[in-house]
Amino acid sequence: MTDLANVIAVGILLGGIYALVSVGLNLIFGVIRIVNFAQGEFVMLGMYGTYAVYNLLHLDPYVAVLLVLPVLFVVGAVIQRLILAPLRTEPSMQIFATFGLLMLLENVVLAVTRGTAYSVPSPLAEVSVAILGAQIGLVRLLALVAATVVAVALGVFLKRSMLGRAIRAVAQDRNAARLVGIDVDRIYMLTFGIGTALAGLAGCLLTPIYSLSPQIGTNFILPAFAVVVLGGLGSVLGAYVGGFIVGLTESFAGYYLDPALKHAVLFAVFIAVLIVRPSGLLGQVGAEEVGLRGE
Amino acid sequence: MASDTVASAVRSRPAALPVKTFLSELPLAVLAVAMLGGLVALYSGDTFTLNTLATALLFAGLSSAWNIIGGFGGQFSLAHSVFFAVGAYTTANLYLKAGLSPWFGLLPAAALAAAVACLLSWPVFRLRGPFFAIATMAFTEVALALGNYMEWLTGGTRGMSIPFRLGFGNMIFRDRLSYAMLMLGYTALCLLVVLAVNRSRLGYYLQAVRDNEQAARAAGISVLRVKLTGMAVSAALTGIGGGLFFMQVRVADPAALLSLFDFGVKFALIALIGGLGTIYGPILGALVVIPLEGWLRATLGGMLPGANLIVLSLCLILASLFMKQGIVGALSAGLRRIRR
Repeated sequence: MTDLANVIAVGILLGGIYALVSVGLNLIFGVIRIVNFAQGEFVMLGMYGTYAVYNLLHLDPYVAVLLVLPVLFVVGAVIQRLILAPLRTEPSMQIFATFGLLMLLENVVLAVTRGTAYSVPSPLAEVSVAILGAQIGLVRLLALVAATVVAVALGVFLKRSMLGRAIRAVAQDRNAARLVGIDVDRIYMLTFGIGTALAGLAGCLLTPIYSLSPQIGTNFILPAFAVVVLGGLGSVLGAYVGGFIVGLTESFAGYYLDPALKHAVLFAVFIAVLIVRPSGLLGQVGAEEVGLRGE
Repeated sequence: MASDTVASAVRSRPAALPVKTFLSELPLAVLAVAMLGGLVALYSGDTFTLNTLATALLFAGLSSAWNIIGGFGGQFSLAHSVFFAVGAYTTANLYLKAGLSPWFGLLPAAALAAAVACLLSWPVFRLRGPFFAIATMAFTEVALALGNYMEWLTGGTRGMSIPFRLGFGNMIFRDRLSYAMLMLGYTALCLLVVLAVNRSRLGYYLQAVRDNEQAARAAGISVLRVKLTGMAVSAALTGIGGGLFFMQVRVADPAALLSLFDFGVKFALIALIGGLGTIYGPILGALVVIPLEGWLRATLGGMLPGANLIVLSLCLILASLFMKQGIVGALSAGLRRIRR
């Protein structure tokens, strides 16, 4: 029984991390339908940004958020303007371009750091709390809390704020959005910037958990796509739930089947859901067609 | 551009509209292969260049194979490294465990790769655009986990090696020239198949599906069957390439064979740089990308780790932005300007 509790605890904490990592992709791919294979690299950049802030200014990762977030917002906005804006109606060229971006960012960081693995100590990393008999690291718990807060905030932002409504309007019909006076190009740039900044936030919060390597981004990208698609495209609640589905699937498969097969099971489940319900578990039916149907 | 040349041809000579057929295009293909052969002969004394050429020719074939479904068919598959690995392990296992010569092992490798491809893509072909790409990328991850798990088949993470036993029957040679000739043969095979597909009903169907799936269906094309057939042909050739690759390197692990950067995405990258959905694009792309990459690795790799990939990724981004038709597109645009 304690085994089961442990597996569930591990799964939920992992789910929190996945939910956090994919919240930016949810905005970029789920809402405005830009195919971004480089999203994991933005998380990686967030982690290295945190390291740089720690190294130069000796600030804790949780404080570094204040610097990393705006920087990544600008990075994202610039990338959108230069690379993705011209390719807005060409999903397959977006795949090429963002894969190129993935390789570029990964190898630039590799060249700069010469492949040395870094880690950022945080006083909080040592602390663990006991919940229902399971020992849980505080930093992982914080990631879970942050994922929850960000998901709620993003949901409210998209639903209630003027900018959020504009983003949803652009996602649904960009011509109609332009007709009612929305600056569509600006919305795309802002949304991509916010999505990038959210990836950076995830990076900051993950630095105390993982040791840094240039390749770490590629570990996140497919689970992130799985989370966004599983939960339901464009549904913030869905992406939050999707994180836990992915986390729990991985921890259950790892414990009861074989650790070596956990990713096989996870992605097999993902493919199955993609086939049966491409709009995801909580997405609107037909949501996967948005932005793909004619221009 | 293309339409007005066709229109003028119709106006001037309505009876003899030049329809390109397999036979009418064959001489050009033979010429291309002869030129590649000339290139190999030119460098037959230079071991380093022969190595690069062998790799470039292998990738020319692999990328041409990808181009059948990815370029002509418009289905952005990232699962081709899976078919590549299936071919590699089929050939290697049949050789090591059953003593079957790789020359014959390539046939079951092609058949199995095609079967796996059909089985995997049948359910995901209902997905469109990026969703298809993401699903096929997930296949690569599943295959990697399974490959590392099934040690009896793949040697697991430690990899699998083929003992060095010289001999034509074993497809193991001492000289680099033989490998270059082998890969030249593979490129020629792929080129012929691409030509045959391109000038057949299947080729036109594939392009119709790519350009407008709904219109293709309305015109009576069985979309799923066309996609599956295209995928099977493409995967069979990819499987043969996998077998050849394994016999050339003789040692590999699942992580290397299923690497997206080294294979899955590179097939697509080469096709894009050469010219997506063109007959000779992937071959030109491979002849540019592979030597460039080797040269960059040799000159920059020592100074800066990953520098060769930085340049390559920049090429990829720039090509997707400014050279969507690839080298072939740029060349034919240049030709048109000269003629005018």
